This record gives sequence, structure tokens and C-alpha cells, in this order.
Amino acid sequence: MKLENEDALDNFIICHKCYTLNEEHPIKDGSSARCSECGNVLYQYDSRLITNALALSIAGLIFFILANVFPLVQMDILGSEQFITIPKTIFSLLDSGFYLVGLLCAFLVFIFPLMIFVINIILFTLLTIKRGEKLTKELLILLSHVTPWSMADIFFISILVAIVKLVAFGQIHIGISFWALMAFVVIDVYITKSIRLSEIWMLRKKILLEGERQ
Amino acid sequence: MDVEKENPFRGRETVIEIDEDKLIPCPVCDAVNIDKGKKNSCRRCGCAMYHHRSFSTEKSWAYLLTAIIAYIPANLYPMLITSAFGTKEESTILGGVVLLWELGSYPVAVIIFLASIMIPVMKFLILIYLLISVKYPIGKDKKANKHKLYYLTEVVGPWSMIDIFVVAILAALIHLSSIEILAGTAATAFAISVFFTLLAAHAFDETLIKENK
Repeated sequence: MKLENEDALDNFIICHKCYTLNEEHPIKDGSSARCSECGNVLYQYDSRLITNALALSIAGLIFFILANVFPLVQMDILGSEQFITIPKTIFSLLDSGFYLVGLLCAFLVFIFPLMIFVINIILFTLLTIKRGEKLTKELLILLSHVTPWSMADIFFISILVAIVKLVAFGQIHIGISFWALMAFVVIDVYITKSIRLSEIWMLRKKILLEGERQ
Repeated sequence: MDVEKENPFRGRETVIEIDEDKLIPCPVCDAVNIDKGKKNSCRRCGCAMYHHRSFSTEKSWAYLLTAIIAYIPANLYPMLITSAFGTKEESTILGGVVLLWELGSYPVAVIIFLASIMIPVMKFLILIYLLISVKYPIGKDKKANKHKLYYLTEVVGPWSMIDIFVVAILAALIHLSSIEILAGTAATAFAISVFFTLLAAHAFDETLIKENK
């Protein structure tokens, strides 16, 4: 295999799933490229990716704030009303002496998801205004370290499991936060799973090259 | 392969000839890089890549063993303590699954069983197999399968946290003087176990699968 120089390697991509080397080809707007070996999606092309992602990130952050302020689940048990919010769940773990679990939960369901959305908003804003060459790089690196540790989606499924377990104890009311968290999780899964970081790196390169030409 | 595309740097350097096996992806930004041996750093994001070649699998082994050790108390100690009207009931992970099954909530029992027993044990076994197979020649012919196994552990791994979150929600919601649900010692042990399995999977060097072909 012959290469003009190291940067020509940007025309190649290694599949995440099966580690096969694939060559990148320009594809139609709205379509996606799949691995030649296992059929896993390698990259997608969407000309409005940055604007869409920015809008979704802002929407996601709003839903995240709503999800943390209002009660998640409310319960009538033996005549008294009990409710939980996401922060309350974490603090109750810390209060009962489970510092390690509490801290872990705080990071996995609160700090990391919040970080991802704040980073995304800054990142996509910078890419829209075509500024901040160094900062976008740092943000992308940070994002790739944080993303595998964000577990808002798993927390949401846990709530469903907990509700089923609690049916025997008393009347359950689903709070505003539950719906807000559901919307947040849908956006979170879309952003972290369908927008690949390598696509953003390629977009960043394209924007930088355009800037150099002008 | 054809790389005669628009390239702004064309002509500045001479042609490099490279073996396809020498190409590795950056673990941080996925950029394809040329494997230059011990002091690799990614050409796109500048991150250090696979610097620990001299102790390639040891780090992953260490995390994995910690996780396995923590998984033992996680199964022996109670996960959930329910105290209702003076009577205290303790249930371990497996006990909780059995209890749920007997009560008739089959879907939840299956979810908890998958998340807290199947997935962790499967991850231990897959990682042990991968770590051994990159050092010793077993399963040589199935190169692609090993990458898929690793991909599988990465995808399903975090789902073992379900039980911890469920216990946290139950404990936060039900704490009256007459009825109270408390998290047990196993919660801490299980959280540690899951955390270290995730670290072990992240620390595993995927390029080793390729090298030992």
C-alpha cells in the first residue's frame, strides 16, 4: 500500500466492530457508509449535522435541567406521600453511608451526562462560527473520554424496573421529570450513538482547511 | 489502493510505502495511524497511543482480577434490606432474582438476572479469554470474532449498573419509619466490581489481537 504522506490516512477508516480497514468515499447527503466486512455503519454524511446537533444539544440540556428539578416518581405509601428527584436519589445514598456508590452514581447519571451536553453546545457553537482550533481539539478529546461513562439511558431503564418492583407497595404517580428524562435520554442516545466522533473530527478538518484557503 | 484525491499537502513529502497491518486506529479519535513502535502519538489529536507495550496486558489483568474479587462479596452479602413493621428481610442478588420470579414479575427477574449475573460473568470470561489468547496461541484462526467479542463487552458492559441504580431508587423512595428499604454491603462491592470491569475493558489493547495473528 502506497501513501503520498501521513495525512492521506484520513481517507481511511478502521471499523470499530471488526477492525477492518476501509477506504472512505464521498457519499450522498443523508446516506451512510457501511463496513465492507461486517456491515457496521462507519460514517454518515449530513450537510446540516452541526446545526442539528447544536439544536439538539440545547434541547437536551433544557430537558436535563427539567429532569433534575421536578419529582421523578411519586408514591402514596401508608398514607404518606414520598417522591424522589435525581439529586435526591444520589444524596440519599451518600446520607446512608454509601459514599462510593453515591459518588459513582453522581458521576454516571449526573456529572458526565451534563458534561457531554455542555461540551457539545460549546463545540458545535465553535464549529458554527468557525473559531477555536485548539479548544475544539481539546473538547473532542475530553468528549471521547467522557462518553463511555455516561449512563443516563441505563438509569432510565432502572427507573422502569424500580417502578415494576414497587407496584406491590402502593400507588405510584409518574412525575414531570420522568417525561423530561425520557426526552433527554432519546436525545442523548441519538447524539452519542449516531453522531460519531470521527465525523466531527473530519468536519473540523474541513472547516480548518476552508479557513486556510480564504 | 487509490489515494489520488484532493490533497493540500501533495508533493511536499515523498511517497510512503506501508504495510496494511501496520495501520492502527487512535483509541481517542479513531484516526488511522501508522504503528511506529513504542513512542506512538496520534497525528490528529496528539494523544499517546498504546504506550504501555512493555506491560501490555498486565494493566487489564490487574483491573479484571480486582473486579472478580469484588464480585464475590457482591454475591454473598445482601444487596437489598427490606424492613417492614419490625421484620427485617435481606436478599442477595441471586435471592432477589428468585424472589421476583416467584412473585411472578418474570420480565424484571430476567432483566436483573441478565444485568447482574449474566453480563458480569460473561464479561469476565470474554476478557480472560482475550487476555490469554493475545499472549498464547489459542483460537488463532478466528481473528474477526475476537474483535466482535471485544466490541460486545464494550457495548453490554455498562448495563450491569442497572441493579445498583434500582437499589438507589428504591432506597431513596421508601424510607418511612414502618417500611424502609436500605442498600446492603453488596451494593458497594458490586459497584466496585462493575467499575473495574469497565476499566479492564478500556485498558485492553485491541491492537494485540492483530499482532498475534
